[in-house]
Amino acid sequence: MNRNHKIRTPVWVPPWGYAEGWLISIGLLAVGLLLQVFGGGLNPNALSWPVNMYIALIFNGLLISAYLCAGNTPLVSWLGRVPAAICSITLVTLLVLVMGLILQDDDSALPWIRRIGFSSMTNSWPFLLSMMYFMAALGMATVKRIFPYRKKNLCFILNHLGLYIVVTGGLLGSADIDRRLMELRQGEIIWLASDDDGHVHEMPLAMELIRFEKEEYHPKAALIETDTHRIAAGTDLDIFEIDTAVSGNLGNWKIDVINFHSLSIPVDDRYEPVLDIGAGPAAFVRVTRAGFDENITGWITCGSFAFPHQLLELDDNHSLAMTVPRASAYRSQVMLYTPDDKPMIVTIEVNKPYSASGWKLYQYSYDDRFGRWSRTSIIEAIRDPWLPVVYTGVFMMLAGALYLMFKGKTRVNNVGYGKSGSMGPEMSNPAKLQNVKSIQE
Amino acid sequence: MPPFDPQLYTIAAISCWMIALVLFAVPRRYTPVHFLAHCSYISGILILAAVAAILWYGMDRAPLRTLGETRLWYGMFLPLIGYAVYLRWDYRWMLHYASIVSAVFLGINLLNPENYDRDLMPALQSPWFVPHVIVYIFAYAVLAASAIVAVKGLILHYRHHEKLPELHLADNLVYIGFGFLTMGLLFGALWGKEAWGHYWTWDPKETWAFLTWIVYLAYMHHRIHRPGQVTGSLWILSLAFIILLICWFGVNYLPSAADSVHVYTR
Ligand code: HEM
Repeated sequence: MNRNHKIRTPVWVPPWGYAEGWLISIGLLAVGLLLQVFGGGLNPNALSWPVNMYIALIFNGLLISAYLCAGNTPLVSWLGRVPAAICSITLVTLLVLVMGLILQDDDSALPWIRRIGFSSMTNSWPFLLSMMYFMAALGMATVKRIFPYRKKNLCFILNHLGLYIVVTGGLLGSADIDRRLMELRQGEIIWLASDDDGHVHEMPLAMELIRFEKEEYHPKAALIETDTHRIAAGTDLDIFEIDTAVSGNLGNWKIDVINFHSLSIPVDDRYEPVLDIGAGPAAFVRVTRAGFDENITGWITCGSFAFPHQLLELDDNHSLAMTVPRASAYRSQVMLYTPDDKPMIVTIEVNKPYSASGWKLYQYSYDDRFGRWSRTSIIEAIRDPWLPVVYTGVFMMLAGALYLMFKGKTRVNNVGYGKSGSMGPEMSNPAKLQNVKSIQE
Repeated sequence: MPPFDPQLYTIAAISCWMIALVLFAVPRRYTPVHFLAHCSYISGILILAAVAAILWYGMDRAPLRTLGETRLWYGMFLPLIGYAVYLRWDYRWMLHYASIVSAVFLGINLLNPENYDRDLMPALQSPWFVPHVIVYIFAYAVLAASAIVAVKGLILHYRHHEKLPELHLADNLVYIGFGFLTMGLLFGALWGKEAWGHYWTWDPKETWAFLTWIVYLAYMHHRIHRPGQVTGSLWILSLAFIILLICWFGVNYLPSAADSVHVYTR
């Protein structure tokens, strides 16, 4: 076996490497935990404009001037190299891992977990310090490749600067995001919106609900246990979509749907199609038990707010039921009043927000007691002034990802890693790596 | 009513690959046999592609909503990537592993047949839905191939004390997989902004997607810095794939996901 014996330089003797990096990671974690326990969590709103802009200027200014004026100090030159990158990435990964395992913003979390901030990780000191460490390493690595600019560094810059911009914009911009709800009702012009804390704000735009529309998939036929209303065991794969002249098998029963109305109301002992408020789906079915000739016929419906559901009893403990149909789309048609434009009718739909006066308007919810007959619609208005910054970074990263896939892995050769070429075994000799703290005996 | 039953087709696809693997084992000078092997292998992939297409058509929506549906795509992409790697770098063992892993995933589908229903909640009805999920599944399939390299490398190293395995292949796969992972993450962010109003909310699924991404990032940088330290790299690569699997299947079961918007319909 060809094992390299490593001779390590003592800790804190330049050039710094992994040992220093891990110590700094642990140190930051410890300081962060102490600040958290004795100082309490962070207030995410403290970063709002213009504080976030100053912080961005100072942080970036520090990085660039440190590189230009003190590039040879152990700290600065170490920050721009891979050991610092890996140590900071590891610290961030650990904290995010904790975040991925513990339910966040959970008031019932164990007291000590709340105390050290792990149940609201993104507002905790350890997270803040680890992100600063991460951004310092990422920023320094980027600055190193930008000054002086070389064309062959383009891919590197797209990826690293792109990520840097995304994270800066995302972290610093989050306090400037405004999200507000506007509850629209037919026939009322609404220009007030309430935020998460219940404060009411006047908006620079007003809206009036003209019509709320909801479309639904067809309901499904299911075999349930009459007492528990649970799907009968072993039949959940057989549930089928109801439509006129469709048949299906549920357990031992064959179901023929003779007639289906997607909107109807009960009249005497049947259901008649209507297009009226309170209408709901209903189906007339014929059920035959396997191996028997006689059949049962009857109506089933899931009901609506205006009339109750109806099952068709098949035997002592089984009934045929209709499931509540699920939404396939919902949208609001609103009259929109803005300072700059004439009033106009716009449609706001899930996944299709509408932009006006610097706000994006989203279809948020409706009065689900009334379902498709809801006469209120809740619109969420969101403003995110830093979004252009974040998207700039996102598109740089997308370009960088494509570039990297096409380019594949190439050697870094302007930092003394040796000749360019493949990643063959010849590269496994650490003696060729000048800035790696190991030499071969 | 399911538009049709994919079980038989799935079994047919797996059989095609198994036949191909046997035929590939025949020495290469028997050209016609090798030609048949290629045909058989490709047929397996095409059958699954047809299954996906029929489901798509029959349900009127992309079959990408449930875990089972994502496994179907995975079961198609993985052999495709294994085949591409075989053509490009001539690693035949890659074909074997890709088919076997794919067969395992498809086998899970065979044992848990699903009710294919058409319903697709409004938030999923977006032009981003298909690219986002396909890009992710493709990334997962490429990275699975890199995990196979890692496991093989670790076995060679610890059991047989052999010389360094081919990390060149692992690096190429990770670079491609990581590119797709980045695209999936960013498409998801752009979509999130349109659907929910924010591009990143640290939802558990997002948190785990970020973890997956960053561990592969650590692998890439470790490789750049310490190309000689192969075992360390192989361990990072294996760990990364475990995180990936948790992100894909495990998140549904984690306490932190109690109110995630992303959990797949089981
Ligand atoms: C989008 C994410 C990232 C991608 C795709 C990426 C990719 C790369 C690549 C391909 C290289 C090799 C350099 C080259 O050949 O040009 C590299 C080097 C490097 N990266 Fe990253 N990286 C990313 C994020 C990060 C982060 C978050 C950090 C720090 C925390 C970092 C720090 C470094 C450092 C220090 C180097 C070595 C640069 C040098 O020696 O000049 N990278 N990265």
